[in-house]
Amino acid sequence: MPNKLPKQFITSAKKCNLDTALMQQAGIPHVYVESHRILSVQKNPDLRLSVTSSAEGIHLKLVVKKGAKIKKPIFLCFGVLGQKEKQIILPEIILEEGAEAKILAHCTFPQAKNVLHQMDAHIKLGKNSKLIYRENHYHGESFGAEVLANFDIQIGVAATFENEFVLDQGSVGKLKINLETRLAQDAFCFINSKVIGKGKKDKIEISDKVSLLEENARSLVRLRGAVMNGGSMFFKGETEAFAKNNRGHIDCQEIIVGHSLAQSIPIILVKHPEARITHEASVGKVNQKQLETLMAHGLSEKEAIDFIIRGVIK
Amino acid sequence: MEIKNLTVASKEDKKLILSNISFDIEEKSIYILIGPNGSGKSTLAYSLMGVPRFQIVSGQIIFKGKDITNLSMDKRAKMGLTLAFQEPAYFEGITVSNFLKANKKNISHTEIKKVLSLVGLEAEEFLDRTMDQHLSGGERKRIELASVIIMKPKLMILDEPDSGLDVIIYREFYNILENIKQETKASILLITHRGELGLVANQATFLNHGQVIYSGNFKQVMRRYCQTTSRKKVCPHAK
Repeated sequence: MPNKLPKQFITSAKKCNLDTALMQQAGIPHVYVESHRILSVQKNPDLRLSVTSSAEGIHLKLVVKKGAKIKKPIFLCFGVLGQKEKQIILPEIILEEGAEAKILAHCTFPQAKNVLHQMDAHIKLGKNSKLIYRENHYHGESFGAEVLANFDIQIGVAATFENEFVLDQGSVGKLKINLETRLAQDAFCFINSKVIGKGKKDKIEISDKVSLLEENARSLVRLRGAVMNGGSMFFKGETEAFAKNNRGHIDCQEIIVGHSLAQSIPIILVKHPEARITHEASVGKVNQKQLETLMAHGLSEKEAIDFIIRGVIK
Repeated sequence: MEIKNLTVASKEDKKLILSNISFDIEEKSIYILIGPNGSGKSTLAYSLMGVPRFQIVSGQIIFKGKDITNLSMDKRAKMGLTLAFQEPAYFEGITVSNFLKANKKNISHTEIKKVLSLVGLEAEEFLDRTMDQHLSGGERKRIELASVIIMKPKLMILDEPDSGLDVIIYREFYNILENIKQETKASILLITHRGELGLVANQATFLNHGQVIYSGNFKQVMRRYCQTTSRKKVCPHAK
């Protein structure tokens, strides 16, 4: 199937600093979907890839074969170009033993007035495998998107999972992410979320739960967020340690501007005497000293706040 | 800049901090503001810059012939007034390069390199480093200085740029100040505890308890300062 990426997808991918030339390159493995229409699929000899559309939604099964190391990223692009629609995505991603891959997912709803995007993802990493999964969202400027995303992730022995979710352009609308990860022996995961809410209609809820089930499993959960002009952000970072030498850290930094609301709840459960989980959180207004420094350099208050938040998010 | 009968209070508790301050800073000059801890030097610096923590109760600040008493910080900065803070801020996630370009997006690499060299830093070593705890206090002070030089200001207020520096770095700093003076042709209002820095100054004001005790040429001011505070470290320079 040819690589048919709608213009609006490219525009929003550019806003999110994605490599749009690479996204459109011939032969680059990808799945591009608009609403419930499959626009383009590119397979790869190291992948077993199937995509179907049904009344339930888009079913995607992506398997990276045993020992395969896919150097170029795999692009997944799910968008809705209409103003009022519902999109359901049901991905299943499996990395077999020793496989390595990087998935760059982009979700875009540029005209959203009443768009619901629902995703139920199942990710399974085999022994010694490594997956980098980056997801960049653009929800338009009208606060009209609602995203409900559930991730169920199983990380096998000595496997590594690096996850990054970024929504820092345009409006958010309603965003609810619920991620649960279970780690086996010597496995590692890094869950990193970066979200900026710009208006009072932006309601952000992120819940990341990590269970370190076996010896030497380690995790880092991080949130960098900002809410402005009456928006709200709620973050729950939960880490459970059940085995020897489990190490985990939860790190949350939320900035509020104006009469907004930010909340952070770390939950730590340790059930082994040789495990250790730590957390740190800061929730509050923009650092006054940083603001004054930048304004003394000629930036307006708004420009200075934006500069500081971009730094924190970066 | 003309400072006319300036009286300043804290916005938070309305307490008066500065009373009836007046002095003029000539173009392309170095002006020293000296005084003991708590005398109101930093408050004066922040008030001149328009930091919103302080409220001008009465008086005027005239800069380049215009009354800027009620202008916001950024508007004053756009007119060519800037301030290097005594304790530079940390900026998580911001590289030195991006910090220096914050309000000068189109500045060339050559120009950045030149300014960093002016404050004694190697561009290649610092541009990609982040403005966080990985930089030492001295490095942050130099970068803060570089960031105000890059603005090509008409008047830069340097709030104790020499504080917290050890003797060796301090001597180097003296040269840096000379370089800045030569290169930028800007006026400098220098707030300091150290009399040695006054050797590069034209005029000075001694401030105590929020009031001007004496203004004049540097040596005269230092004499008055030493008579009042008997500070051994700085007084030999007043002879």
